[in-house]
Amino acid sequence: MILSEEGSFIERSQRGDREAFEFIVKKYMKPAYYIALSYVGREDDALDLSQDAFVNAFRHIKRFDASRNFFPWFYSILKNLCMNHLTRRRRRREESLDGMAEDGTQVAIPIESSNPERETVSRDLREKIGQALVRLKPRDRQIIVLQHLQDMSYREIADLLGIPIGTVMSRLYTARQALRRELELMGIRY
Amino acid sequence: MAHDTFNSLLMGYLDGELTELERQRVEEHLDLCPQCSAELVAFRRLKEMTQPMRLAIPDDRHWEEYWSHVYNRLERRIGWILFSVGIILLASYGVYQMLAHLLLDEGISILMRASIIALVVGFCTLLVSVVRERLHLAKTDKYRRIKR
Repeated sequence: MILSEEGSFIERSQRGDREAFEFIVKKYMKPAYYIALSYVGREDDALDLSQDAFVNAFRHIKRFDASRNFFPWFYSILKNLCMNHLTRRRRRREESLDGMAEDGTQVAIPIESSNPERETVSRDLREKIGQALVRLKPRDRQIIVLQHLQDMSYREIADLLGIPIGTVMSRLYTARQALRRELELMGIRY
Repeated sequence: MAHDTFNSLLMGYLDGELTELERQRVEEHLDLCPQCSAELVAFRRLKEMTQPMRLAIPDDRHWEEYWSHVYNRLERRIGWILFSVGIILLASYGVYQMLAHLLLDEGISILMRASIIALVVGFCTLLVSVVRERLHLAKTDKYRRIKR
């Protein structure tokens, strides 16, 4: 069987070649980070979790079929890690007296202006959008982050998450509706 | 056109992701449905609001060091596994040697030997029982998610 370039790096990784795995990590580290961030909302946690997901992927890479796309398989590992992290965080929050995040801060997805030299959007609005995103369900938040904040095409999102384009569209509709509701609750007019 | 189908297509229309034929179908529906037209306006405003925003990404240093962090974790994990296996083997060997020494030592009374055997067997039975119960509860307890 003729393997793609990625497939051949996967096959070498399956034989324990870490340099080959380095190629895979460098190819996917940024999408992995974006997805982890869309789940957990904190930069440090997102970096940590995405790196842990690569470690887990390497440990189990022999089970993976090298002729398939790596990212949808990796995505399921990353998603599980993020969901476990969120469950642990929720438990810690339930145990704390004030019901806030464990370090007492309000988590918000970090958003910056796409043109940092010209501050076209106020910091206050960016923070509010970041907070509204955190209140969404992880699945809704993820699709908004990828489409709105990473400007990915439907094809790119579908390939990344391993879902059909029709599902991308229906998820976007649900997520945008949820975001609109959150913004209205926060009194943001747009 | 059914609203469920239309809702999805509306997103594709908004983001310029439809084929010419799909675009025409959406426009025909929009001409006839003021409710959907109003939705489109609201979604367009939302898109325009987030257009000048992007996800804050870590600086280049983080990306340069990314692989070395993954590599270190891979290496440490292997180190921990080997370390744990070593500790378990050494502890097991130590316990075996201690028991063999005590049980074979003729200077130790039979009562003492019987007590040691009872102690070890009892400890192992309790350990196995507790572990088995915990595993069973973790799978079947319907209140396991409720905080005490």
